[in-house]
Amino acid sequence: MGTRDDEYDYLFKVVLIGDSGVGKSNLLARFTRNEFNLESKSTIGVEFATRSIQVDNKTIKAQIWDTAGQERYRAITSAYYRGAVGALLVYDIAKHITYENVERWLRELRDHADQNIVIMLVGNKSDLRHLRAVPSEEAKAFAEKNGLSFIETSALDSTNVEAAFHNILTEIYRIVSQKQMRDPPEGDTIRPNVEPIDVKPTVNTDSVRKQCCQ
Amino acid sequence: MAENSKTNTDENSFWKKHIRTIPGRPSPKKVISSSNNNSSSTSFQNFKRSVDDVWDCGVADNEFANESNISLTDITICKTIAESAAINVINNHKIKTDDKSQLDILPMKHANKQNISFSKCNIIKNNNDDGTSKLSKFEALLQTNILELDELKKLSWSGVPHKIRADTWRLLAGYLPANIERRKEVLERKRLDYLNVVQQYYHTDRDEIFQDIYHQIHIDIPRMSPLITLFQQKTVQEIFERILFIWAIRHPASGYVQGINDLVTPFFVVFLQETLNDNDNLDRVDVSTISVDLRNNVEADSFWCLSKFLDSIQDNYIFAQLGIQHKVNQLKELIQRIDLTLHKHLLKHDIDYLQFSFRWMNNLLTRELPLRCSIRLWDTYLAESDSFASFQLYVCAAFLLHWRDKLLLEKDFQGLMIMLQNLPTQDWNDSDISMLVAEAYRLKFIFADAPNHLQTNCS
Repeated sequence: MGTRDDEYDYLFKVVLIGDSGVGKSNLLARFTRNEFNLESKSTIGVEFATRSIQVDNKTIKAQIWDTAGQERYRAITSAYYRGAVGALLVYDIAKHITYENVERWLRELRDHADQNIVIMLVGNKSDLRHLRAVPSEEAKAFAEKNGLSFIETSALDSTNVEAAFHNILTEIYRIVSQKQMRDPPEGDTIRPNVEPIDVKPTVNTDSVRKQCCQ
Repeated sequence: MAENSKTNTDENSFWKKHIRTIPGRPSPKKVISSSNNNSSSTSFQNFKRSVDDVWDCGVADNEFANESNISLTDITICKTIAESAAINVINNHKIKTDDKSQLDILPMKHANKQNISFSKCNIIKNNNDDGTSKLSKFEALLQTNILELDELKKLSWSGVPHKIRADTWRLLAGYLPANIERRKEVLERKRLDYLNVVQQYYHTDRDEIFQDIYHQIHIDIPRMSPLITLFQQKTVQEIFERILFIWAIRHPASGYVQGINDLVTPFFVVFLQETLNDNDNLDRVDVSTISVDLRNNVEADSFWCLSKFLDSIQDNYIFAQLGIQHKVNQLKELIQRIDLTLHKHLLKHDIDYLQFSFRWMNNLLTRELPLRCSIRLWDTYLAESDSFASFQLYVCAAFLLHWRDKLLLEKDFQGLMIMLQNLPTQDWNDSDISMLVAEAYRLKFIFADAPNHLQTNCS
């Protein structure tokens, strides 16, 4: 892999999860192709896209797996959590139930993903201000409590979409490069982060990451 | 490539061994023996010349069989061969074997050689006399007092003419009875049944479990076919919601699963078209202007035919979607046997069959093909009847193999995945589907009952 014109320093696998209809596919389309469809077809199983970004003069290639939101697909999609180093857990700020279900999605990740996976909580559809059902502060507090990064995005008007992917990839990169430098501080877990956009580097003692550092 | 040449050899021997006759022309076996007996190349050349024209005259393989009586009188061929051919044709029409051996698909090695002219012929043919003669055969069959369903399946397998597609589908789905006198009554009763079920279950307070189903359907329908304006109409979306909701509550083991909505589409479009004038553009029709009765009929017919259609693939949609997982594994094994080069190429780049073929199975290729092609594919699926579930596996295999050369050029995981998710079928038409199902049929014929065929390749 990684020959020809797409050289990269790191390859990170990231999954997009969350309830049906919260805009996962549009976040992916906005980030990888700068596209948005008001009515994009429901995802069947998993779909895949890729994009590279630069961090510290390094090329980081993100391999992003977009998953179907419906419960029935969990048995299939959970297989794709394996090897993922990051997860964007998306809810719709205008639909409270999709936020309530975040806990269930976290359980899914705990059961099926690498325990050190970096998780970012993403409140999508921030353009729907007049329909907001989930206050930013509430989600932010929840993220902090659960050790997740947090950001609000709009795939429709592009707000924070770049930032969301950039932040999680940078966060993963910091962890990986620090690990490579072989100076793991002790006993630290992923630090909760309350800043919506600026995700600070986090450190981790014992992560063995499968799909990175190619 | 070694295994490919082996495949070809096997195909050759296979077809020589098994194909009895190609109706309308002398069988390959007879030709060889007669040319050997005469020890003269002239009779063979005569024969060859006499049959070569079949590729130019616009007669497609599947309809070929039924044109036999006219073609023989128009061409000069060796007398003995003509006789043997005639006998073959008569025998072929007489012998009642199972559907599959009577489907009269030409071996693909012939079809492939003539690929270009063949598909060109097909496009022209669709609008010309062959279309009408096929149509008249359908019409005659549909008018018989007791329908010979097997005949209808045989005829439908290679495509149903637009004009009588709706009726044909109702019969193929087992929604309408074989007895012509009972059809009207059954249709009316079934349509009424559906309306009653809707009254009883749809327009009432839903308990929580039904509410979840409804919610999922409700968010899927608007984004079903975003580019086709027909599906953006409120009336149409409501029809789909009712069909899917009623189907889901009647099938609690699966419920509604994303993707089933796409499977309603071919039925809905075909039954809707039936209510329109030939000139109406489907994309400009305002469905709310169609009378309630007609709309209800379209809805009820779509519901019943969908129900029948999904009966044999329910395990695709139950917990963990075991039916699909099973078929994905079968596809993997099959490709390994048929085309080891491609299989190894996919494995080498970490492609998991589940990653691309899950959707093919879950949506029966509707996501991979333009709607017009799905409708044509449905002709064959419905003609396959209950065995379409296993046949679909071979359609998926043929579909994958169709792109093998392009796939082999992709040198990494992302290139392969992106291509497999976006296979360029935008320009496909009926003849591409005919080729696809013919190839699927060939693969099924060779591999389905011969689990060890080419097995040595995949040590």
